[in-house]
Amino acid sequence: MSTIGLTESDVREAGRLSYLRDTVLLTARSLRAIPRVPERLLDVTIQPIVFILLFLYVFGSAIHVPGISYKNYMFPGIIGQSLAFGIIGAGVATCNDLTEGVIDRFRSLPISRLSIITAQVLGQCCEALLGMVIVVAFGLALGWDPRITTAHGIELLVLIPLGILAFGWAGVWLGMIVRSPDAMQGLGFIIVFPLSFMAGTFVPISDMPLIPRTIAYWDPISALVAAVRLLTEGVHSSGSWQLVHPVQAMVLWCLAILAICVPLALRRFNRTLAS
Amino acid sequence: MSNSNLPAIDAHGLTKRFGDFVAVDSLDLRVETGTVVSLLGPNGAGKTTTVRMLATLLRPDGGEARVGGHDVVREAEQVRRLISLTGQFAALDKNLTARENIVLMARLRGHGRVDGAAIADELMERLDITEFGDRLIKNVSGGQRRRVDLAAGLIDRPQLLVLDEPTTGLDPRSRQVVWGTIRELVAEGVTLLLTTQYLEEADALADRVVLIDHGREIAAGTPAQLKAQVGDQRVDVVAVDDDGVARLEGLLGERYDIDVFAETRVISISAPGQATDLARIAAVVAESEIPVDEIALRRPTLDDAFLALTGHPADPEGESENAEPTEVTA
Repeated sequence: MSTIGLTESDVREAGRLSYLRDTVLLTARSLRAIPRVPERLLDVTIQPIVFILLFLYVFGSAIHVPGISYKNYMFPGIIGQSLAFGIIGAGVATCNDLTEGVIDRFRSLPISRLSIITAQVLGQCCEALLGMVIVVAFGLALGWDPRITTAHGIELLVLIPLGILAFGWAGVWLGMIVRSPDAMQGLGFIIVFPLSFMAGTFVPISDMPLIPRTIAYWDPISALVAAVRLLTEGVHSSGSWQLVHPVQAMVLWCLAILAICVPLALRRFNRTLAS
Repeated sequence: MSNSNLPAIDAHGLTKRFGDFVAVDSLDLRVETGTVVSLLGPNGAGKTTTVRMLATLLRPDGGEARVGGHDVVREAEQVRRLISLTGQFAALDKNLTARENIVLMARLRGHGRVDGAAIADELMERLDITEFGDRLIKNVSGGQRRRVDLAAGLIDRPQLLVLDEPTTGLDPRSRQVVWGTIRELVAEGVTLLLTTQYLEEADALADRVVLIDHGREIAAGTPAQLKAQVGDQRVDVVAVDDDGVARLEGLLGERYDIDVFAETRVISISAPGQATDLARIAAVVAESEIPVDEIALRRPTLDDAFLALTGHPADPEGESENAEPTEVTA
C-alpha cells in the first residue's frame, strides 16, 4: 500500500471486452428500477392511453376518414406519437440521473464512458419498448384490428426499435443539455406535443389549413405515423415525398437523428458534466 | 513501477473557471503517499471543484495535476484506476438496495458475481450497514446513505481515497462510524485527501491541513502549526442585548484580546488555559453584574481560523460548495 502506480499493461489488460460487460451491468441497473418505480412506466403509458380513450370515444365521432374505420386510422397515429414522446421520457430520466450524482460515480470508475451512456440509452429504450407493448396491447383489447402482412411485420420489428433508439439518443442528449427535468418537460410540451398532433395522427393532413399542412408534410413525426399506418393497415398517404415513401423517410429521419445526436451526446458526456 | 517515491497528488497552478467565476485559482497541492491531507474551507471555497478535477470529473482550465504520476487530463483512465472519490452528495442509485449498490460498484470494478457479494458482505459489516442492507437507498437516512457511499468507495482498497466532506450533516453515530473507518484506513497506510468544513475534523484526522478560500491557499501546515496560529479553545460570552454587548466589550476588552460578533451578540476570547480561563472570565462577568445568556468554552471553528489567519471571517456570502455556473455567475 505504500506505492501508487500502474503499468501500461495493467490498463491495456482491461481490454475492450469489458465495454460489453459494463454496458450489460449498467443497463441491468436501469431496468431494475422499472418494477420498483412503476410510476415511471405509467409516465410512458398513461398519456397514450388517455389519448386513445379521448379520441376513440370523445372526438372520434366527429372525425371522418374515408375508406378506413376511425379506430384503425387512429392506432397507428398513437404508435407514431408514442415513439416521438420517447424523446421526452429519455430526456427527463437523464436529467434526473445526472442530478442524483450516481452517473458521476460511474464516470469516476475505470470503465469506458461509452458504456455508461450506451447503458443509459438502452435502459430508456427498453422502458419505451415496454410502454409501447402495453399501448399496443391496450389497443388490441379495445378492438384495434391491424392487417399486417409477414413482410410488413418484419419491417415493423426493425423500424419500431430503430425509432425508439433514435428518439432515445436524442432525448439523452437533450437531457444532458437542458439539465432540469421541468425544462425538459416544457421543451417537450412546446415542440414535440404540437408536432405530434399535426402529424396526421388523429386527423388527416389533407384537410388542414395551408400552414399546418405544410409543416405536417415535412414533420418527421408525420413520417413515423405514415410508416406505421402503411405497415399495419396497408393505407398509403400522400402530399409530400416523405408521406408517399414513409418507410424510407422514417429510416432516413432516424439515421439522421442518430448521426447528429450520438456524436453530440458522446461529446457532451465526455466534457464536464458538473452536477 | 519506478514511481514509489512519487507523491500521490501533485498539482501546480490548478485553475477552474465557471464563466466569470473563478472556483479554483492557481492552487498548488501536494499529497505524499501514505499521508492524510485535509482541504479545509467554507462553502464555496473550491474544495469540491478541486477534488472533481483530481478525480477526472472536471477538466482544469489551467495548471496541471498528477495522480500517482499520471496526468489527470491526458492519462485519465490510469488516474481513475488509482483514485476513489466519495462525494459530498451520496452518489448511489436510490432504486437499488444498499447491498445491490455495493455489488454493482464491485462488479464494475471487474469482480464476478460471487466475488462481488463477498466484497459487499465484508464492507457492510465494516461500515455497520448490514442491518439496513436490503432496504432501497431512497428509504434510508442521510447518514446511512453516506456510509454506503463510503463502502462503495472502499472496494478494492483504493491506493488514493478522496473523501469530499464525508461527515457534513451526519448524525453523531454515523460520524463516529465514518471517523472510525477513516482511522482504520489511515492505520493501514491508505493515502487520503479529505475535504471538510470542520476544523475539528481536520485536526482529528489529518497529518497536514491546507486551508483554502476563493479557490486559493490561505495557510498550510500540520494541525499543531495551524492551531498555534488560531489559538486553542475559546470562551464565548453571549450578551442578552445590544447594550450588554457594548458593556461587555468595554469590560472584557481592557483585560483580554477579544473578537466581537455583534449580530449574534457574542464576545469571543481566546482561552489557552481552557477551564481556568473560563472560570476567570466567568468571575469577571459575574462581578460586573452585566446580565448574559451564556458563557461557554468551545473548540475553535473554521471561522476562528479564518479570523486568525486572514483577519476577516470566512466569506458569509459563500456560494454553495458545488459552485456551478447556474448558481454563481447569474
